[in-house]
This record gives sequence, structure tokens and C-alpha cells, in this order.
Amino acid sequence: MVKEYKTGDMAEKIRLLKQTAIELKRISGGIQAVDRNVDRILASVKMLEINIGDLADINSD
Amino acid sequence: MKPEEQYWNPVLETLPREKLQQFQLKKFQNILNWTYENSPFYRSLYKDAGLEPGDIKTLDDIRKVPKTEKSMLREAQGVEPYPYGSILSVPIEQVTEYRQTSGTTGQPVYHPETWQDWEWSAESWAYALYAYGYRDYDRVFLPFGYSINIAFWAGHYAAEKIGCEVVPGGVLDTEARILKMKEIRATAFMATPTYILGMADTARKLGLDPAKDLYIKKITAAGEPGACVPATKKRMEEAWGAKVYDQVGATEIGHWGFECQAQAGLHVLEAFHLVEIEDIETGATITEPGKRGSMVITTFDRFAHPCIRFDSKDVIEWSPVERCECGRTFRLLKGGVVGRADDITKVKGVLLAPTAIEEVVRDIPELGDEYEVIVTKRGDIDDIALKVEINPDFKRNASAIEQKLVQQLRLKTGLRYSLEFHDYGTLPRYDVKAKRFKDLRHKE
Repeated sequence: MVKEYKTGDMAEKIRLLKQTAIELKRISGGIQAVDRNVDRILASVKMLEINIGDLADINSD
Repeated sequence: MKPEEQYWNPVLETLPREKLQQFQLKKFQNILNWTYENSPFYRSLYKDAGLEPGDIKTLDDIRKVPKTEKSMLREAQGVEPYPYGSILSVPIEQVTEYRQTSGTTGQPVYHPETWQDWEWSAESWAYALYAYGYRDYDRVFLPFGYSINIAFWAGHYAAEKIGCEVVPGGVLDTEARILKMKEIRATAFMATPTYILGMADTARKLGLDPAKDLYIKKITAAGEPGACVPATKKRMEEAWGAKVYDQVGATEIGHWGFECQAQAGLHVLEAFHLVEIEDIETGATITEPGKRGSMVITTFDRFAHPCIRFDSKDVIEWSPVERCECGRTFRLLKGGVVGRADDITKVKGVLLAPTAIEEVVRDIPELGDEYEVIVTKRGDIDDIALKVEINPDFKRNASAIEQKLVQQLRLKTGLRYSLEFHDYGTLPRYDVKAKRFKDLRHKE
């Protein structure tokens, strides 16, 4: 494959997404409508890690 | 075509092999650590073997890790946390879906999904459906009973994820499904090979030619080996006038292999799994092409009910093709899953795989799609009865067909059979997993 993708930059944005979602849950005061939707967001963020973020970890080793 | 138009994820699907193997090692270490910390079943298994996660430093070290198999999963379940037992590796409150295996080989295995693991299932299927050419303009019909089994559930959500319009054809009967597919002009569907052929048969009884009167361009075939049997695939593609793609997976493992448009074999989804092949008799690892063995598989990122070095009993072999023309670096299997180690049995001293009989029967156009094989013992001698149907148009040529069948069976399987010719439409039809091979020798 010739095309280069910005995997490092994408991985950083994924990290920030995760951090923001976790922080949102921390300050939710236990509102289920927030917490349960954050859980779903985090499940999607995990797919971004699997697709991009985890590879960036290998590249930086 | 741009890479992102060709692959669901061009970054992982075209990763150089060396990098891919580094990635797999890290993923394996990660899931091993996870189970050691969170699953009493796995921790006990590894402690008994004197293994600690830190012992795995290379891909070769992985063979030190004890294998698992279905009977162990069954034994570990049915106790607290009920019903999943000691394999469950997350707090039970995080479980959001219940599935179970079909129970074809015994007591079903219970399978928990968290939201994250369920996303994983849809994600892994998305790699396959995108490779088959599913896109956001497709209208995908699911002629599937939306049952307690995992079957095509993940296919539904993966098609949604890709952006397809998904039509759940759950409670309809076969005729109603076909008429609905025609009415809404569905462009793709997913089913078992048995049901794909059965639907074509039903369509013809309705006076429809599936290849001309419907709009199907792509079919995902899963749940049985049929799509990797060339004669069966040919029958399905001709009946529907569509490309048929082989898809493999299991409840305990998840989706793990798919065909690309080059259809040169089955790509292992290596960014999500590690596949090893072991000799069925000696257990030795097979790394070279051309030798069949049983699959041992590890799933990397499914955390509630992990699957590590699981002996799936699927019979596979590595392909001699080193790099597929599609550009993916995921390794290829020759001919997909060619059978199950459980089904490969010695008859009259010869190793027999039921798929070899299917290849012969379905390669003879004068014969119907259905067949049945029954192995019994007459005294000390094995007997194999093969029941087939002759298509009504060819009934007058029965003796020539019989001669052809005998010759091909002898050539492809090395065995003689007691042949039975039945009227077309009289052998059993199946909607999901067919049971065409019956070994009654141990029951007599």
C-alpha cells in the first residue's frame, strides 16, 4: 500500500475521546442517561483503538 | 481504487507481515494477562500448567499455553456467576446480551456479550462484508429466525455499521421472504448454503427464476462448509446469478475468516485472531501449505468470555498463495473450512471427509441438491449408503448417472457405496444446519 495514513495523529485523538468520555461519566452524578450512553461511546472508542490506536502503540515501542 | 474504498481498514489489512506478527504477539500477551487477572477458569488452567503470562515472549512461546476445547467450556458453566461460570471475565452486570451455541455436538455453550464485545462482533463482520462489496447503497435482506443462537445477528449489525439498509426477514416463511426480497429489490442476503439452495428451489416453485426475477448481487454464506465446496458454490451462484462469499465463525470464537473478491481462498482475520493448525493425529504444528489439520484459535479483543488457544475441530490448510492479488496481507487458507475433525472418520480403513462426497454429488448436474450419507456396520464390514435425488428431467438416464456417480466417488474418496436413488424432493430439507452425514456404527 502506497498511501500513508496519519495513524499517530488519529491515535492521539482516540485517546482524547476516551479521556473525555471517562471524565463525562466521572462528573455525571450517576445520571443513567449519561452513564449508559458513555458506555456505548466507550465501546465504539474501543473499536477505534483496535483499528488504529493499538497499532500506534506497536509503532512507538 | 483508493485503499479506503477497497478495504474496511487499509491500515490493518495491508500491514506488512513482520509488523502484523508483532501486533499479534502483543494482542496475545494482552488477552492472556486479562484472563489470568479476571477469569478463575483460565487462571487455574495456567497455574496447573506452571505458566505465567510473562512466560510468553515470542510467537513460538504461545505453544506453551494450554489449549481449551468445547467440553471444558461446558464443564465450567452452570455455576456462579450463573450461567456462565468461571470463564466469565467481567462483572456480570456488564453483560448485555445472551447467546448460546446451537448444541449440534451436545449441551449448548452459554455465551455472554458486553456492549463492547458486541461492537467487536459487528466490527469483525464489517471487515468481511466490506470485502464482499457490501456498501451503503445495498439493501440487505436477512432471511434468518433471529434466534437465541448468534448466527446472522452480527451480520445484521455489521451491515448497518457499513451503512447498508438492513431488512430483518425474521418471522416470514421462505415463500414470503422471497416475495419480499423481490418486492423491495434486495441486493444482498445472508444464509447457510443449505438454505440458499433451498430458497432458490422455493423461488422456482413460485414460478420465479432467482437469477432473473430478483435483484440479488451478493450472498454471504455461513454456518456450513458449502461455500468452500466448489460444486456447491457453483450451484448457488448459478441459481441466484450472484457472487457467493464464504464466511466462517463460531459463537465461542466470533467471525474469523472471509473471502475477498479474488476468491483465492479464505483470509484469516489476523488482526483479530491468531490461527494455528495442528496435525489431527500427532498434534504437531503445521506451518507449511498443503497439509490439513485442526484449527487452534485465539481471539484477541473479546473480553467477557475469552477464547484462548481453542481447539475448534475445524479442518483447514494453509494456501500456497503467499500474497493475495487483493493486496491484503492476512494469510489465506486453501478451500476454507473443509470439514470438522469430529466428522472425518475412518470408513473401511480410509479417511473420509463428508465434504468430498458433497463435491461429487453437486458436481453432477443431473442430481438434485440434497443427499444423505449413512455409515453402518454389516458384521465386521463398514457399509456406506449414499442417498441422492435425480432431477426429474433426467430420470430416463438413471443408469448413466449411476455409472458417473460410482466412478467419481471412487476417484475422489477411494470408496464404494450402496447407492439409493430417490424421487426428487423426497430427501429431508433443512433450513439451518443440515445433518446429511450419519455415522451409526457406534450406536448399533
